[in-house]
Amino acid sequence: MIELINLYKSLGDFHLKDINLKIDTNEYFVILGPTGTGKTVILETIAGLYNPDKGKILFNRKPINKVSPEDRNIGFVYQEYALFPHLNVKDNIIFGLKLRKIPQWIIDKKIKEVSELLSIDHLLNRYPGTLSGGEQQRVAIARILVIKPEVLLLDEPLSALDPRTKENFIRELKKIHKKFNTTTIHITHDFNDALALADRIGVMKDGKIVQVGTPNEIFYKPENDFIASFIGIENIYKGEIKGENGIQELKIGTVNLKAKTDLKGKVSTIIPPEEIILSKENYRTSAQNSLKCSVNSIYTEGKLIKVEMKCKNLIIKALITKYALKDLNIRVGDEIFAIFKTTSVKVYKTS
Amino acid sequence: MDSEQLNDKKILNQENINENTNKNTKYRNLTFKIILGLFTFLLLSLIIAAISNVLIKGIAGISSSIRSPEIQFSIKLSLITSMISTFLCILFAVPIAYSMERLDLPGKKIINTILNIPLALPPVVSGVALLLLFGTTTFGRKLASFGLKFVFDVKGVVLAQFFVNISYMIRILKSTFSDIDPKLEFVGRTLGCTQFQSFMKITLPLSKNGLLAGTVITWARALGEFGAALMLAGATRLKTETLPTSLYLNMSTGDIQYAMASATIIILISIVALLVFENVGSSKGMIINKVKGGNHD
Repeated sequence: MIELINLYKSLGDFHLKDINLKIDTNEYFVILGPTGTGKTVILETIAGLYNPDKGKILFNRKPINKVSPEDRNIGFVYQEYALFPHLNVKDNIIFGLKLRKIPQWIIDKKIKEVSELLSIDHLLNRYPGTLSGGEQQRVAIARILVIKPEVLLLDEPLSALDPRTKENFIRELKKIHKKFNTTTIHITHDFNDALALADRIGVMKDGKIVQVGTPNEIFYKPENDFIASFIGIENIYKGEIKGENGIQELKIGTVNLKAKTDLKGKVSTIIPPEEIILSKENYRTSAQNSLKCSVNSIYTEGKLIKVEMKCKNLIIKALITKYALKDLNIRVGDEIFAIFKTTSVKVYKTS
Repeated sequence: MDSEQLNDKKILNQENINENTNKNTKYRNLTFKIILGLFTFLLLSLIIAAISNVLIKGIAGISSSIRSPEIQFSIKLSLITSMISTFLCILFAVPIAYSMERLDLPGKKIINTILNIPLALPPVVSGVALLLLFGTTTFGRKLASFGLKFVFDVKGVVLAQFFVNISYMIRILKSTFSDIDPKLEFVGRTLGCTQFQSFMKITLPLSKNGLLAGTVITWARALGEFGAALMLAGATRLKTETLPTSLYLNMSTGDIQYAMASATIIILISIVALLVFENVGSSKGMIINKVKGGNHD
């Protein structure tokens, strides 16, 4: 268990102010906040790179302010991976094991285990400079996992990955957390990542923790406007999952959608407005959901256009470009089809 | 249609103007380029003429001069003193450059400026300062009584070379260390390294090229060190006679052949060192030792 008590730290432009957090053993805790709010500084302070200006860090109820990073048994994975460029993948991974003077046969076993787990067994002789971002990320995780840290700190592990790699990696992080049960603190600015991974979320703003709670609590009871707008709640619905395997039927009021989830019964769902495609005709596409709607209102939001539609009793918002609006000639009152994939229907447990 | 024609006309006019200005700027820029080239050419000719003149005179007599005991002595003394002083420079520069780059020291800026003084001073002045310190103070006499005699001694040659070159070495290593992302060391520490271990296992191997370049350039400069060594160690034939000292002594006595031989040897060594330095310097970029970014959000 990690406890941060009245923690203050100033570092250049970043200021942590009166941070109080309690992270339980085996918990997957996500710190969510916009860039420039001092999220990385929290992790670096927990890991021991900096001494806090004020306040205490307790690790299993013992203060660790004075403990050196090498004695904390807290693993850290930087956003930029920070692999050792002069060592190949294998030597990067066994760096920590070698320091601990672990017998060679155990090292060999561990390399095999972890490289298979993270599917990097074919990369062992390569140098970090020749790897893709996703591959480097895996190596960085492998390097820290082999020494079995009690706490794993992940600094924006998903932000540099392309969408497909990112989706895979989220699954991988879940798998790793299930297998090792390591207490994890994960930093992100993306609410969807937090939603996919977190047991609990701490929302941060201007160096302060403004709300802590389960994804549902944050989602349904955002404590203030900042949180609500930051997590960008739009198109949230409560519904019920029918059907069993593969693609399920999701019933929201009188509207039926197709979704992909392992959950059953009552659920919550979000359909991100930017993932909805609008069409004047009902084309058959690979996307499984197509709703006939009427346009309620159209307004600009930044560089994009937000189209608010109504389908039976469901209000749906979609984000499209100005060009698309002109091209489709969408006007208020028009009949239009909202098309989106099953994977765009994000389903999670309801509170 | 009408407006299109009008546009075409406009474009034609534009082209005419462009052509005229193109001609003008073409000549203007050509003159500018010739002037640039002229300066480069003048300096190049000066360097090549001066160096090749010495080399031509020196290489002819080098085989006979190299057999003379005096030249042999000065080669040997130069090699030995320069290697020792270069080693000492590494020994001091590594920890100093590292602490200047990585530690939060109070008054770091002032310390830094002081460490750079030997670089800014003319070597003769450094030599005089060292001579006064070790020759006239109780501190110097005390050291001499323990066997550390620097004044008019070979040890003085080493000390002079060290003093003149150390700032240089520190500067090179500082820039080398600053190119290495401190996050690498920090990750090393979370993996179980002590501060010293992470320096030895991460930063030092990554500084290999900078260290090599620094060593070569320091060594070459030590070989050519004259002013400070002359003041502190004197110019005694067959005692404190390094290659540059030998050059100086033989020039002043009119033994041009020996002087040219010493000069030739120094020139050759310097050119080789320069080549090594430039090559190592350029391959430095091959190691991606700087991890991108560095935001603390």
